[in-house]
Amino acid sequence: MPISIRQITPVFAGEVSGVDITRPLSREDVAAIEAGMDRYAVLVFHDQRLTDDSQREFTRNFGTLEASPGGHIATAAERRLPLDMQDASNLDKDQKPLARDDRRRMFNIGNRLWHSDSSYRAVPAKYSLLSGRIVVERGGHTEFADMRAAYDALDDATKAEIEDLVCEHSLLFSRGALGFTEVSEQERAMFRPVRQRLVRTHPVTGRRSLFLSAHAGGIVGWPVPEARAFLRDLVEHATQPRFVYSHQWRQWDLVMWDNRQTMHRVTRFDETQVRDMRRTTVAGDAMTVAQAA
Amino acid sequence: MSISIRAIHPVFAGEVSGIDISQPLGRGEVAAIEAGMDRYAVLVFRDQPLTDDQQLAFSRNFGELEVTLAGQMARPEERRLGDRLELGDISNLTARNQLRARDDHSRMYALANRLWHSDASFRAVGAGYTLLHGRVIPGKGGNTEFADMRAAYDALDDATKAEVEDLITEHSIVFSREQIGFADYAPGNEERLRPVRHRLVITHPVSGRKSLYLSSHIGGIVGWPVPEARAFIRDLTEHATQRRFVYAHAWRVNDLVMWDNRTVMHRARRFDDMKEVRDLRRTSIKGTGPMVEQAQAAD
Repeated sequence: MPISIRQITPVFAGEVSGVDITRPLSREDVAAIEAGMDRYAVLVFHDQRLTDDSQREFTRNFGTLEASPGGHIATAAERRLPLDMQDASNLDKDQKPLARDDRRRMFNIGNRLWHSDSSYRAVPAKYSLLSGRIVVERGGHTEFADMRAAYDALDDATKAEIEDLVCEHSLLFSRGALGFTEVSEQERAMFRPVRQRLVRTHPVTGRRSLFLSAHAGGIVGWPVPEARAFLRDLVEHATQPRFVYSHQWRQWDLVMWDNRQTMHRVTRFDETQVRDMRRTTVAGDAMTVAQAA
Repeated sequence: MSISIRAIHPVFAGEVSGIDISQPLGRGEVAAIEAGMDRYAVLVFRDQPLTDDQQLAFSRNFGELEVTLAGQMARPEERRLGDRLELGDISNLTARNQLRARDDHSRMYALANRLWHSDASFRAVGAGYTLLHGRVIPGKGGNTEFADMRAAYDALDDATKAEVEDLITEHSIVFSREQIGFADYAPGNEERLRPVRHRLVITHPVSGRKSLYLSSHIGGIVGWPVPEARAFIRDLTEHATQRRFVYAHAWRVNDLVMWDNRTVMHRARRFDDMKEVRDLRRTSIKGTGPMVEQAQAAD
């Protein structure tokens, strides 16, 4: 049975059928998925019983796994999973939900803000792949917003205004937005801001998109309050319901998205329940703008 | 011609006609406006040329006037409208009537007005009505948007209503400014920056309707970890400011818009403030009623 993709919302996101991604893929299957990503930006695969190893294998079809530190405050000793498997669960090493005031949980709450994965890295992520190992019954959806459609819907004056703007991104900004400000000197150095273009062009389709993210805390050359007020306006525009797909998880769903063309966020859920999601990330291959010296 | 009010939005906001608010009002007119406020929460009066004195006189029909925090914190020589601190300067002008520079301190402070808020919710008794009069209006942008917090409350699901019913929030001008990276206050203002507490759900003293008392001045929920509280307040604000609950007021010169801060949030929208003048004058009425209960919560 060949791969087929059914579009989910009027503007983006597709549901894939006809492929078992727990097994090695043919070159044609990989090409079909990549073409689907270019077009739909978010792809949903149901009933895929992935292990960590088979998730890594599937991910490597699309590039190199991101496996560098700098994405979290959890120490090596605290980590439940190795660095190439991002832990999007609410669990500690003993598989127990983190306490309400646990510092790692406070940090993770930043994922409820619209963001693009690793936009705080000089070379931001390409794809993210999230596997639902244990899902919750209520809430805990992942919502996606199409940054190409959001860009297209801007008026011409705004398009011209933002064309060459460069933003500063850091985990300090997204976490600071929710009042998480107590970071060590070491963490502060690890989260040093990087620069990203606000408008980027997809290397294959040539479509433009807004490269927005909760990690963006400033615009080069702008006073900070003006930059943040403007970025909030853009995020509000870009995350209107018509640009959003809300994914309600079933166990063994694998959702993959292109961070160059979408933002996403998790919605609230009862965190006394176990939610075990594991993410692999395909590293990007270029900076969007030269970094400041 | 007698006063009449026409609804201008499916859920709230009304446009008032048949009245000249520059003149002293009869008791019946004041009562009609108050009844309109209880019902519509936002009232628009078109073509009302007002002097500062006339605006102050009209406002006093509805209670005691507040002094503005920005005025209190500004040095006397920075105040464009002189020493009448009941008159809020909602403009992009300096004391010398020049456009403010891009990095002007007052401009940075005022940029937070682009976040949804309820006026003076950072005070133990927040504002009741606010009245804003348009003197000079830019050609493009600069709308004021309003969101109906009664309709927003009504639209919550039952589980959320139960969850928010008794929550107490902490408000400070520091929290709204912090969100856009402004934290530059002159010494001596510590008391004015100290957080106050309010109920998240309040009941209107006249109509009995419940509403969400949300504001960008909120920085915490009593008993909650700060990031969790802020994420939840953001979710509620997003819910409460959906387009179906929002009326966007496109200003004309000599509009007077008045709103009830206990039942609506509002925000200013962007305009080209480096090139165009926008001069609005604000008066606010001290709140009563539900705020008493909230002040007790602060103990």
